[in-house]
Amino acid sequence: MTTKEPCLCLPGQRLCLSDKTYTAGQGTYERQGYIYSQLAGCVDIVDKDNIKVVEVHTTGEQTVIPAQGDIVTAQVSVITQQYAKCFIKCVGETVLRRPFRAVLRREDIRATEKDRVEIYKCVRPGDIILARVLPITEAHTYHLTTAENELGVVIAHSEAGHPMVPISWTDMQCTKTFAKEPRKVAKVVPEHFNAPSETLKP
Amino acid sequence: MSDGYKTLHPVKYYREFLSQGIRPDGREFNTFRPILLNVGSINTADGSAIAKVGNTTVVCGIKAELCKPKPDAPDCGFVVPNLELPPLCSAKFRPGPPSDQAQVLTQLIAEIITNSNCIDLRDLCIVRDKLAWCLFVDFVCLDFDGAVVDAAVVSLLGALKTVKLPLVEYDPALESTQVFLEEKKPIKLHSMPVSTTFAVFEDKIILKDPTLEEETLCSGVFTIVLKDDELCCVHKPGGSPLAPEELVKCIDESKLRTPLISSLIATTLKS
Amino acid sequence: MPVDHKRINGPEDTVPYSLYTKTNKQSLTEQYEEIRKTGQRTDSRAFSEHRKIFVRTGAVSQAKGSAYIELDNTKVIVSVFDPREIPNRPDYSLKGELYCEFKFAPFSCHKRRLHVQDAEEKQHSAIMKRALESTVCLHEFPNFQVDVYATVLENDGSCLSAAITAAGLALAHAGVPMYDIITSVTMGIQRDTFFVDPTVTEQNICLYPRPSESDTEHGIVVLSKLHTHDQVSQFYQFGNVSLDKLNESISILDETCRELVPIVQKYLVKHVVKNLQRNT
Repeated sequence: MTTKEPCLCLPGQRLCLSDKTYTAGQGTYERQGYIYSQLAGCVDIVDKDNIKVVEVHTTGEQTVIPAQGDIVTAQVSVITQQYAKCFIKCVGETVLRRPFRAVLRREDIRATEKDRVEIYKCVRPGDIILARVLPITEAHTYHLTTAENELGVVIAHSEAGHPMVPISWTDMQCTKTFAKEPRKVAKVVPEHFNAPSETLKP
Repeated sequence: MSDGYKTLHPVKYYREFLSQGIRPDGREFNTFRPILLNVGSINTADGSAIAKVGNTTVVCGIKAELCKPKPDAPDCGFVVPNLELPPLCSAKFRPGPPSDQAQVLTQLIAEIITNSNCIDLRDLCIVRDKLAWCLFVDFVCLDFDGAVVDAAVVSLLGALKTVKLPLVEYDPALESTQVFLEEKKPIKLHSMPVSTTFAVFEDKIILKDPTLEEETLCSGVFTIVLKDDELCCVHKPGGSPLAPEELVKCIDESKLRTPLISSLIATTLKS
Repeated sequence: MPVDHKRINGPEDTVPYSLYTKTNKQSLTEQYEEIRKTGQRTDSRAFSEHRKIFVRTGAVSQAKGSAYIELDNTKVIVSVFDPREIPNRPDYSLKGELYCEFKFAPFSCHKRRLHVQDAEEKQHSAIMKRALESTVCLHEFPNFQVDVYATVLENDGSCLSAAITAAGLALAHAGVPMYDIITSVTMGIQRDTFFVDPTVTEQNICLYPRPSESDTEHGIVVLSKLHTHDQVSQFYQFGNVSLDKLNESISILDETCRELVPIVQKYLVKHVVKNLQRNT
């Protein structure tokens, strides 16, 4: 974010010409050679490979729906042998007012040994997972995947109902009873840190 | 990031707040939200009021019509209350016929009106067995943020206080009715019901005047309606059990609200 | 009529008391003649003058976006919710949908309204949907619908156009991507009189031809406009109006719609600034 005075705009406001240097980004649209705002909010110009992307961000809550490739935070509600049903609660940093239904299929949980995955050893109802949205093929359902090191269970409770901490990339331990439970654990990377892919050490 | 924590673990979020003796909106357990009342703002109704309890907003509009009394109660008029919870007021409701909750609340308000005797139905009779007033009391919830009944009862009182009915003359020989709009009279209010809603969090903590979030997370919600220091109605649809002494304490606490609301109505009507 | 078991029904044969008042009130035709003679509207406005508008955003805390609008006595509240899955739709659609519901509160009109949506309310809902559809970037939320609910608390004419203007404001308040700002104005036509933003009495004057020798022109026109692109998003006309008159009325409505834009803009800017201050 820049510190200079924010530039306000309203829906339908003409922002600038759309040419080689300026292109329409998030929260804007292009019509007949001009870039217009879609939202009431602030204008943001982002430099990207010598092209200036004009974006508009609302100052209040955003209206977003999950799109292909987004990282979402979801809560597992039901598990079966083939899939786990989830509710998407956050898209990126945006907290949703209304959750969206999604499905995490057995083959999308892990990147390796896909056919040996057993759902109950990876996620349980109530778990909070980080996942990526897969291309949308069916109406109404989002398919998720956790087949990356950084994706999987981030918050879970043991059968006794106490919080658990990760002890390896396949196990979590209860903080009270010290019982171990299997999970597909996400490797939580600190923000702004591009970690090379490596497995979590026990 | 507190927003994210709140959506992911609402119960834990609340538990941590409440263990510090404070609610997420900054109130203590037994603090009411501020109440606002505005009367007579709708000119097409015979009496109207808008009540706000915190964010919860209810509009009450009364329309008076004429009808024939029922044969089994020839000297009584009618009061027909209905509470609408339209999809406008919360994402919880869908378009279509009234939700179960709307039906329950409508019934509760009807009971409050009959039990408290705030309107004597005999006052609404014009000519015995021939002509009576029928008051259609319609509540529309505009913002559903908990304790809707409390707001509805306040708006009911405000609206009833502003109702003015025209003079009606009935000629039994000709069976003809004439209405004189120039002469309008208020109706008499015999009592003043005041409702207070409580919520029980995890069977222990009692929260006064809960918001919608608190109502949904709590294990039980109950409403106490008092009329001038007398108990008029207690509505406790299931939920977590409550010790008798707790209930008595709550009744005592809700008594504190009656003078507040009567002075609120008095000052609103004066200005 | 079937009994509505989900509500408390009063006695069946109730009648409004206004039916029994002495008929010393002027008939609508007489009122119209009076207006024509004096050249004065009942509320002493000029014929092309819009009533003062009061708008406010964020009236409904539970909704994503909301707006309340007042044109003197006409009071309308609109709320907008997050996109949700379209119910009972098996196939995938690339475009999102709008769902609009327009409702009169039971006490909002001269005659008591029933709780169930009637034909007029359904028609108004459909017009609202048409007007707003071209404003919202529907491709931004494929396969989802955005709900827009409007409730009229008091009807003193022009409530449909008030609802459309307020809905545009509520959608922007909710952060729903939009192509433009929408404003809408109603006009009543009776013979050679144009009533911009008619009250309910003026609307009733315009509903039927008032007896005259040959000139039977009358009607209601509602026009909604997108501001920046200068496009008409919705046009509704009822009654019998000649083409010349209609053209004239459109240019007047066009001008009035333009006048409303700064008011809507002012409130949106206020909302943005308020949020900015809160965030910093």
